[in-house]
Amino acid sequence: MKRSRWRVATEADVHLIVAESYKALEALGARPVQAAKFTTAVSELARNILKYADRGYIEFVELVEDNRVGMRAEVTDKGPGIADIELALADSYSSSGTLGLGLPGVRRLAHRFEIESEVGKGTRVLIEMWVR
Amino acid sequence: MSFTAMDLHSPDTASLLKVYGIGDAEIETLHAWKAHLEGGGFERVVADFYTWLQRQPEYEEFIDNPETERRLRRLQTTHLVSLVSGEFDDRYFSNRTRVGEVHARIGLPLHSYHGAMNHLCLCMLRQLPPDVDPLGATVTLLRVLHLDTALVALAYSRYANDRVAAQSKALLEMSTPVTEIWRGVLLLPIVGIIDSGRAQDIMTGALTKISSSRARVFIMDISGVAVVDTAVANYLIKVTRATRLMGCECIVSGVSPAIAETIVELGIDVGTIVTTGTLMQALVLAFDRVGLSVEQSGRAG
Ligand SMILES: Nc1ncnc2c1ncn2[C@@H]1O[C@H](COP(=O)(O)OP(=O)(O)O)[C@@H](O)[C@H]1O
Ligand SMILES: [Mg+2]
Repeated sequence: MKRSRWRVATEADVHLIVAESYKALEALGARPVQAAKFTTAVSELARNILKYADRGYIEFVELVEDNRVGMRAEVTDKGPGIADIELALADSYSSSGTLGLGLPGVRRLAHRFEIESEVGKGTRVLIEMWVR
Repeated sequence: MSFTAMDLHSPDTASLLKVYGIGDAEIETLHAWKAHLEGGGFERVVADFYTWLQRQPEYEEFIDNPETERRLRRLQTTHLVSLVSGEFDDRYFSNRTRVGEVHARIGLPLHSYHGAMNHLCLCMLRQLPPDVDPLGATVTLLRVLHLDTALVALAYSRYANDRVAAQSKALLEMSTPVTEIWRGVLLLPIVGIIDSGRAQDIMTGALTKISSSRARVFIMDISGVAVVDTAVANYLIKVTRATRLMGCECIVSGVSPAIAETIVELGIDVGTIVTTGTLMQALVLAFDRVGLSVEQSGRAG
C-alpha cells in the first residue's frame, strides 16, 4: 500500500499537494472528472487548514481492493476545532465571510466523507474516491 | 500567516545546544583542545586538511588561485579557534549561516562540504590533547562538528527554498498578460494555479487594461487551470463583477466537463456569468457583442 504524508503550512505547500494529488489520481487511471473532483476536495481541505488552523498534515493512501482502486486523503490539524459541525457542513455557512461551500462541497464530491473535530484539539477529515 | 516553512527550520541557539548535547562539560573539553592547539597546532590541522583537500576534484573548480587558498586557510583557522573556544553565541550562529549561504551560492554540493568536514574531524583527532579521555574528547568533537555542519545545511536548504520561491513568484507575475486581441476584445489565458496573490494580479491587470482600452468584452480562458475550488471560483466571480461595473462583459471560457461537474457538486452559484466550453465559442460571442461576424472568405479551406 502506498502512502505519502505532506505538511500544510503555506500556500506553496497547497500548490504542491494539489499538483501531486492530481498526478497520483491520473496514475491510478482516474478519469479527468474523478481527478478534478478528488483534487478539488483536497484543495478545499488544505486551504481550510491554512485559513483556520494555520498548519496541519495531509496523508494520501492508495486503496486497493479485489476489484477496485481508489485514493484516500486524511487531513488533520491541531487548530481551534469546529464547535458546531452540522453548521459547518451546511451550505453557505462561513465564519470568515467566504462562500461556505468547502466542507459541504467536499462531502458531495467524495465517495466517503468523515469529519471529527474537538474544540481546542483540532480537526480530522477523511475522504475517499474510487476510480475504477 | 505567522507560521512559515522556515520557522520549523530555524531553531534557537539554546535548543540546538541541547539537542546536540553541548553543555558545560563539553565546553571544558573544548578548552583543553584549545590550550593544546595554541602555538602552531591550529595551523598544523589546517595544513593537514588542505593536503587532503588539494586532492579532491572540487578543489580546482572552487579554489582557483593561491590568494583564495590563503584567505580560506586563514578563515578555516579562525573557525577552528572559535569552535574550540566554545562560544556558541548569536555571532557564531550567524557566521555559520553565512558560510552555508556562500557555499550554496557557488554551487558546492552539500555532500562535498559535509565530506570535507568529515575529513576535518579526522585532522582534529590526529591532534588529540594528551591529558583528556580520548573517547570523551572524540564524542565532544563530533557533537560540535555535527552542530556546525547542521547550521550550514540549514542555510543550504533555506537558500534552495528562497530560490524556488523567487522563481515561482517571477513565473506567476509573468503569466497574467491581458492582451487586446481585437478592438474592444481582451483575452487573458490563465495557466496553472490561482491563489489570492495571483487573483489580485489578475483583477488589477484586467481592470487597468479595460480602462485604458475601453474594451467591451473580457475573455478569461481557464482551460489551463486544473482545479477550480470555491476560493478560485470566488475570485473568478469577483473579477466578472468588477469588469461588469466598468461596462465590460466577462466571458469565462475553457470550462472543461470535469470542472463544470465539480463546480456544480461544490454548489457554487455561477449566477449570470457567461461561460463557454471552448475559447472558440467565447470568441464568436465576443465578436457578436462588438458587432462583428466572422465568415469564410472562400479563398482557403
Ligand atoms: N480545519 C478547520 N478548523 C477549524 N474550523 C474549520 C476548519 N475547516 C472549516 N472550519 C469551519 O467551518 C466553516 C465552513 O468551512 P467551509 O465550508 O470550507 O467554508 P469557508 O472556508 O468558505 O468558510 C468555516 O467557516 C470554519 O468556521
Ligand atoms: Mg473553506
